[in-house]
Amino acid sequence: MKNSDAKPTQADLECGGKRSATPLSTPAAPAPKTVSSLRSATAVQKSLPFATSLSQASLIAAVFCALVSAAMLYQHSVAAERDPWKSPQLLGLKEKLRAAPTDETIKTEIRRLDLEFRQRYVRRLSLDRTGGWLLVGGIAAMVLAAGLTAKLRAQSPIPQLKTDTAAQALHTRTQSRRAVAVVGLLAAAGLATLALTATSPLPASTAELEKLLGRAPGGEPVADTPSLAEFQANWPRFRGATGGGVAASTNGLSFALDEKSGAGVLWKALVPAPGVNSPVVWSNRVFVSGGDAKKREVFCFDAADGKLLWRRAVENVPGGPATQPQIGEPPGFAAPTMACDGRRAFVIFANGDLAAFTFDGSPAWSKNIGVPKNMYGHATSLAVWPGKLIVQLDQDEGAPGGSKLLAFDCGTGRLLWERSRAVYGSWATPIIIEAVGKTQIITLALPNVIGYSLADGNELWRAAVMEGEITPSPIFAGGFVVLASPSKGLIAIRPDGAGDVTKSHVAWTTEENVPDITSPVSNGEFVFTVTSSGLLTCFGAKDGEKIWEKDLAMEVQSSPGIAGDRLLVLSTKGNVVVAEAGREFKELGRAKLDDQFDASPAFANGRVFLRGATNLWCLGGKQ
Amino acid sequence: MSDLRFTIYDLRAVSQIARKSYIVNRKLLRSFQMVVLLASVLLQSISAYAQQRFPPPDFTDTNHQIPVTSTPAARAEWLQYLDVAVLAACLGVAVWFIYKNRSRRGLFWLSIFSLAYFGFWRKGCVCAIGAPQNIIFGLCNSGYAVPLTVIAFFALPLVVALFAGRAFCAGVCPHGALQDLVLIKPVKVPAWLEHALGVLPFIFLGFGLAFAATGTGFPICRYDAIVPIFRLNGPGLLIALAALTLVLGMFVGRPYCRFLCPYGALLKLTSLASKWRVRVTPDYCTQCQLCENSCPFGAMREPSPGTVEPKLLSPERRRLGWLLLLLPMLIAGGAWLGGKLSVPVSRLNPTVELAERHINQQKSPANYGVMTPEALSLQRAERDPEALLKSATDLRHRFWLACVAFGGWVGLVLGVKLVSLSLRTLRTDFEPDRGACFACARCFRSCPQELVRVGLMPASELPSPRSVPQPAGS
Repeated sequence: MKNSDAKPTQADLECGGKRSATPLSTPAAPAPKTVSSLRSATAVQKSLPFATSLSQASLIAAVFCALVSAAMLYQHSVAAERDPWKSPQLLGLKEKLRAAPTDETIKTEIRRLDLEFRQRYVRRLSLDRTGGWLLVGGIAAMVLAAGLTAKLRAQSPIPQLKTDTAAQALHTRTQSRRAVAVVGLLAAAGLATLALTATSPLPASTAELEKLLGRAPGGEPVADTPSLAEFQANWPRFRGATGGGVAASTNGLSFALDEKSGAGVLWKALVPAPGVNSPVVWSNRVFVSGGDAKKREVFCFDAADGKLLWRRAVENVPGGPATQPQIGEPPGFAAPTMACDGRRAFVIFANGDLAAFTFDGSPAWSKNIGVPKNMYGHATSLAVWPGKLIVQLDQDEGAPGGSKLLAFDCGTGRLLWERSRAVYGSWATPIIIEAVGKTQIITLALPNVIGYSLADGNELWRAAVMEGEITPSPIFAGGFVVLASPSKGLIAIRPDGAGDVTKSHVAWTTEENVPDITSPVSNGEFVFTVTSSGLLTCFGAKDGEKIWEKDLAMEVQSSPGIAGDRLLVLSTKGNVVVAEAGREFKELGRAKLDDQFDASPAFANGRVFLRGATNLWCLGGKQ
Repeated sequence: MSDLRFTIYDLRAVSQIARKSYIVNRKLLRSFQMVVLLASVLLQSISAYAQQRFPPPDFTDTNHQIPVTSTPAARAEWLQYLDVAVLAACLGVAVWFIYKNRSRRGLFWLSIFSLAYFGFWRKGCVCAIGAPQNIIFGLCNSGYAVPLTVIAFFALPLVVALFAGRAFCAGVCPHGALQDLVLIKPVKVPAWLEHALGVLPFIFLGFGLAFAATGTGFPICRYDAIVPIFRLNGPGLLIALAALTLVLGMFVGRPYCRFLCPYGALLKLTSLASKWRVRVTPDYCTQCQLCENSCPFGAMREPSPGTVEPKLLSPERRRLGWLLLLLPMLIAGGAWLGGKLSVPVSRLNPTVELAERHINQQKSPANYGVMTPEALSLQRAERDPEALLKSATDLRHRFWLACVAFGGWVGLVLGVKLVSLSLRTLRTDFEPDRGACFACARCFRSCPQELVRVGLMPASELPSPRSVPQPAGS
């Protein structure tokens, strides 16, 4: 049975020729004297000069490896200081920037350092690669030389006769058992220390989790998504659940305002930041937002007494812009109205920051959806439906293509779908309606009104009827989508079409008294509009026929609202006009509030909530 | 270098591995073809890091052009077949070199090839060492189907070990090959220390499997001390560990394989039942003791009488009895301690860690100041707090189960080791330990019989068995 390395080499013969195989061998069985893989002392002596050279070579290689390693270690030791995330220098500068957000010098310095550190990081990666290969080469040379040296200097083993094998084996076993026991004890001690000193705030069981979540063990879990009935009973978005500005219930609602005595004003609370967004109300919580280029915040008030429960700044939003966009006042940064799903409150600002907070003020999620490029600043409010948050982001004045419609998961902020919109910038808020068996999102922008499926964002229908600057939001009344196209007229469209319905589904159009900023409101029988100059008009919801008009002689920016048979109109200077929502104009009351109003009223729990430039107002009768 | 902290991305990576592997495997099961290597899946999951998860910052001022995100191509399928074929071929060649050719030189060149192919070219992944984690992860998670290539990498060396011992370690494993290369002047590790440290691979195996079962990650791969060398990159701590292993390996034969390798623990168990075993001598043992120190890995065992003095017999039996009684207690104690360990260990899971941070933040809202990745993780996680807490509580329970099993396993390993050290072994010749022998063939040439076989020594010069004194007690 020969093999590939069976051939004896000269080295084998020379190296092994002069050794004694074993002292155990008796004279009758002499050790092999011609060959061996082991080496004698003489052979070792002969190869010493070569071994010395190899030893020196291995030493040089070792020194080389040590130098390369030292250089690489030095690089790593200073890496933390230059890490853009961890550099004390950069963190210090960022802290300074928080104190002075508009200081361009600090920003420039941060950018310079960040770029420098990133460039150094890339250079270090390159050095690491080079160093790694140098180390591989150095180690290979060192190991080769040292290995040969060791081989050349190797002494032959001299086996000794063992007379106490059994006792030695016993002793070894005893020692080994003790060593294993020590290892076990050390491991147990270490792990026990780790285990018994660790505490966790996390619930240990499902029952404790229920307790933490504020539910009785085994109790019915609170659904993360509100039911439609619960949703519609509140005022979760701009102009209520339907976006139509109509109160869901008139129970206890009172418009008994008395200008002199102050009767009818239940409370007013200072809103600490500017904003023209309208209040949203869910149960006993009222949410508004406010802010400017320096700071943007969310405020939560107690609906019962107007106490500010919490305020949270929306800052450091992932993906947020380095510099805030230039936006005039109004509309300012906080023009879009918030939204609420009963579990979380959602806010969007004109810089594209989108955030969610739980009802106790904890941040749920946040993200930036890109700075809207909008002539006046982003003012479209959020739309919400149980489980879905809808953002209409129309932008790029004069350049369609940048506009889009996005749907986010309310709980997690995950993007559910996104649809590109070939429209220009707009300021109207979308509404969500249930029509012809589908839940539709109705959006307005130049030049189209478009209906989308809420489920998947697919476009259902469109009508090219929009002209002018699209600010009024649509409503759903009498089976029609009623919308104001400022340069064209008040238009009603049947939402049961597919594709382009411009010529087929427009039910009626009227060109009289078209509102330019405020949105229409309807009780199903009549549609009421008010222009910014205060011209209040009533149209028939079925045919668009003008029934009456009344010049209120006041500037109006907020959209009118309806609660039961009452129509409420609010002027910018605080004049509140209550009229009968009927076939004839009949003024029921008038009052003056000491504030400036651009936002629209919210109706919830038998009360009216108004957001003024300074205060948040709550109107209503005693309950 | 990234630090060792687990981040939320880890969980996403694991879930991506699971999801993509499942889809791939389901398709391939239909067509009875092999599925992609885990490596390709890992590459795909790594590519997830590069995806834009959030809208990028506004670079209007600087006119910076954001580069287009690109993902590396998956490893070609035929290359995955090739890997399995090469593994099978290498195992076959190794067995031939060990048992038929008895060639150390052949094994040396085979290990050089394996080091180049499986090590530096394949970057040490997929490897048999980490494959058990995939297997246990697949068994514990219905959404993850283990790729067949990974199964092949896991099973082939074990099947070969059932017949031919640790042929995989001999010349196929790149980890062993690298350590073999740097071995310069081996020192003999005392037997008691060898036994004590010998339990570590079993403990590491248990930890790796328990951790993988929870779906949190693969610690055997993550803390592999050799792979950073193949990749010339890695976390700083692991690079230091790799350097330490290499330096130690110059004087201690295969320190990773002997005292840490979890797959080696499996091979050790399998090799104990192997059909064939490595023998130093090709013929009969003259007990010349020349092979006694030929193994740099401490695997050579000398003849042992198997009997003991009568006066020691009774204490030994008593000890064995006590140890056998102790064994279930060790298992129970280990399981209890393991259960307690679930709290700190589960924090390595990003979901649990995130949930704890969420609760702490609820208790005392912290102003993070400048947002760090840790501070941003809560926001970036896009997790509903309630769902997060539920998920974390479920995970904590899974960790409890896994840690109880791990603790019990550690108790079992220690107990069995103690029992095995209390048993006497009858051994008449010098021979390698079946479990510990790496089948590297270094000892062959120390045997005069082998020298005669290969023609380096005339048969007439062999010592006769009767001329060699027998060890005392035999």
